Amino acid sequence: MTEITIDPVTRINGNASIRVLLDEAGSPREARFQAFGYRGFDQIARGSHIENLLAIVSRVCGGDSLFHQIAAAMAVERALGVEPPEEAQRLRELAMWGQLFERHAVSLTVHSLPDLLFPSSDPGLRNIISINRVDEEVIKRLMALKSLGTYVLEEAGGKAVHPVNFLPAGAAQGITGDRRRSLIDKLDEAKPLLIETGRLIKLLMRRNEEAVNTLGTDPTSYFSLKGESGLVITGSSLAAINAAGESLAVLTPEEAAERLEESNSHHSHIRSAELSGVGEVRVGPLARLNVNGHYGTPQADEELEEVKAQWGFPLHRSMISHVARILEMIHAWEKMIEILNQPAGERMRQALKPAAGRGVGTVEAPEGTLLYNLVLGDNGTVKQLGITAPLQFNLKALERSLLESARAALGGAETGERATIMLETAIRAYAPCIPCGVH
Amino acid sequence: MRVAIVSLSSCLGCQMVFLSLEDYLFSFISENNVSYAPFVVDQKQLPEVDMVLVEGTVRNGEDFRKAKEARQKAGQLIALGTCAGHGGVQGLADMFSEKKLLRRRFGDGASIDGAPQGVRRILPLDSYVRVDAFLPGCPPPTGLLKSFLEFALSGTLPSREGSSVCSQCRVSGIPLPQPGPRRTTDAAPVAGRCLLEQGYICMGPLTRDGCGARCPSEIGVPCGGCRGPSDAVLEYPEQDLQSETLRRLTRATGQKPRDVQEAVGDPAHSFYKYCMAEPLLRRRRPGGTSPFLYRLGDLEER
Repeated sequence: MTEITIDPVTRINGNASIRVLLDEAGSPREARFQAFGYRGFDQIARGSHIENLLAIVSRVCGGDSLFHQIAAAMAVERALGVEPPEEAQRLRELAMWGQLFERHAVSLTVHSLPDLLFPSSDPGLRNIISINRVDEEVIKRLMALKSLGTYVLEEAGGKAVHPVNFLPAGAAQGITGDRRRSLIDKLDEAKPLLIETGRLIKLLMRRNEEAVNTLGTDPTSYFSLKGESGLVITGSSLAAINAAGESLAVLTPEEAAERLEESNSHHSHIRSAELSGVGEVRVGPLARLNVNGHYGTPQADEELEEVKAQWGFPLHRSMISHVARILEMIHAWEKMIEILNQPAGERMRQALKPAAGRGVGTVEAPEGTLLYNLVLGDNGTVKQLGITAPLQFNLKALERSLLESARAALGGAETGERATIMLETAIRAYAPCIPCGVH
Repeated sequence: MRVAIVSLSSCLGCQMVFLSLEDYLFSFISENNVSYAPFVVDQKQLPEVDMVLVEGTVRNGEDFRKAKEARQKAGQLIALGTCAGHGGVQGLADMFSEKKLLRRRFGDGASIDGAPQGVRRILPLDSYVRVDAFLPGCPPPTGLLKSFLEFALSGTLPSREGSSVCSQCRVSGIPLPQPGPRRTTDAAPVAGRCLLEQGYICMGPLTRDGCGARCPSEIGVPCGGCRGPSDAVLEYPEQDLQSETLRRLTRATGQKPRDVQEAVGDPAHSFYKYCMAEPLLRRRRPGGTSPFLYRLGDLEER
């Protein structure tokens, strides 16, 4: 046997395959994450008026659609030197927390839960359809969390997939009193289910301790937006830290774009990204937590204490990302309620005068920092666009985790099927988003 | 029924709608055998199925292989979403040469191991395989997807006679002329009034209905055309998206037709955002328009 191939990798976001190359002794020497399908989104918007930009970039990815839109909107705003009114910013954040909540719910329930619940079962059982046949309640309850995120996103964004309510420097429609109360009520009702799900994920982590300590454990540096008092999903201060948690750089979006170094992967359409002067970084739920140290909302921080006591800090083992995802869901839930309880402002938009300019937009998409580097031409049309997606930052770390997992799988004389399970489980810890990474 | 879900080159948004079917999702998965859906189940090979839902379109040789396999193994093949139906937003890439796109992204002479051969032109799914039914939308409205599945599983593929988004739009008119053509980023429209008449670029009159016209009616943003062209536009080649919209904007604003046309500097992104690759609209020459124009000596490589 000269290689292990898994094609396609299932229960992930998008189409990809894995190839692990073995040396003469049968030892894994290289792991490749192969994803193709470049659609040209960083180029097809060239010549477009800014009015059309958000709708176009939204289509990079259905599950992250709003994050692409807001990163693009922010880039336009910084290029033209305008700021959206506060109410529009609040609405954007509300919608983004909703989409992050929805996205993590799908990631945890549809993609990872089957592995965590049934690490040794045959493939036939490891999916929500089979689990649903055996236990109708558990999947329904978890998907109810996904529905909650979808509902908030729809109310704030007009549509859940490819929202329509947001424009550069504003939003079209606010959420009126009744609908606001209804949203708050629905969120409140979900608290017990959310906390219970947190307990479940933490319990499953402890039950799967061997996987946690095997599948992708290397410490790395981390990168994310840094808030003043906890996590943020939008902002203009980005921080990179090393594995010990020490600061490596604090950057504005424009500085981050300048330090971005992208290079071809010779076996994927995903271009690997790192920061000059910092090197390779990981992004995503674990990175955000490591960079910020805490969430900044009471319930999430309370849950975090238990996690730190159990697993340490900073958190390096990739499987712990699943815990970070549910903690982020709790944090998102607290943020959504906080935003909805704030008094609604009247002004929703700011008129724009299209002109030449350069601007960079940065948001924390569910799986990490998303960066939009925009150059506008003289009449305010898109002249140049660079999109750097979370998976581009994580690609090398993901492949190293794959290699580590392959060595553990083959070293223990595991069968082919067991190796497949381990390798795919290692990948799902990263929840890679291929449409974003490839765009 | 044995059902499969296949994703070609796609944003996966249509699948997100499938997961949003709420209670119906659960009755669907328990009453049917979803035997292949890489997003959800670990089945690696597509088995024989009664119905396959295909989202996205063919962007490279690997997509083509999957599309052919889906056609071969399925009793019925459904084109889910506007990408499968008309090429979608990714169809805007059809304005560029594939070689140039790759060169600009990956550099001159980049060789990527295992990369499937790219297509030279973007086309909807039914240019490659026979499609039994289409459900356009970007994404398809949840209600329509649910009705569609309910019908399809009863044995007959439904057919829906459509009209334009205007037929579902609930705004009222506004006295003309209005300023414009203008963009939503220039100024906020008057709520509850026709956006096209207010001089904004709204594709409502030429777009397939079925979405409830929520964007112009409830949210107050112009229709971008995400359900794809209406039947009328597809059947009558003179109903060109660009000239028809410009004609309406000329009437609404009272400006000179030439000035109205020049005011919209990005016609492809404005009028054809979701259907640039739809061959019926471009009245495409088999073998490709660009090679033909090259032979005429008319085209510089874009």
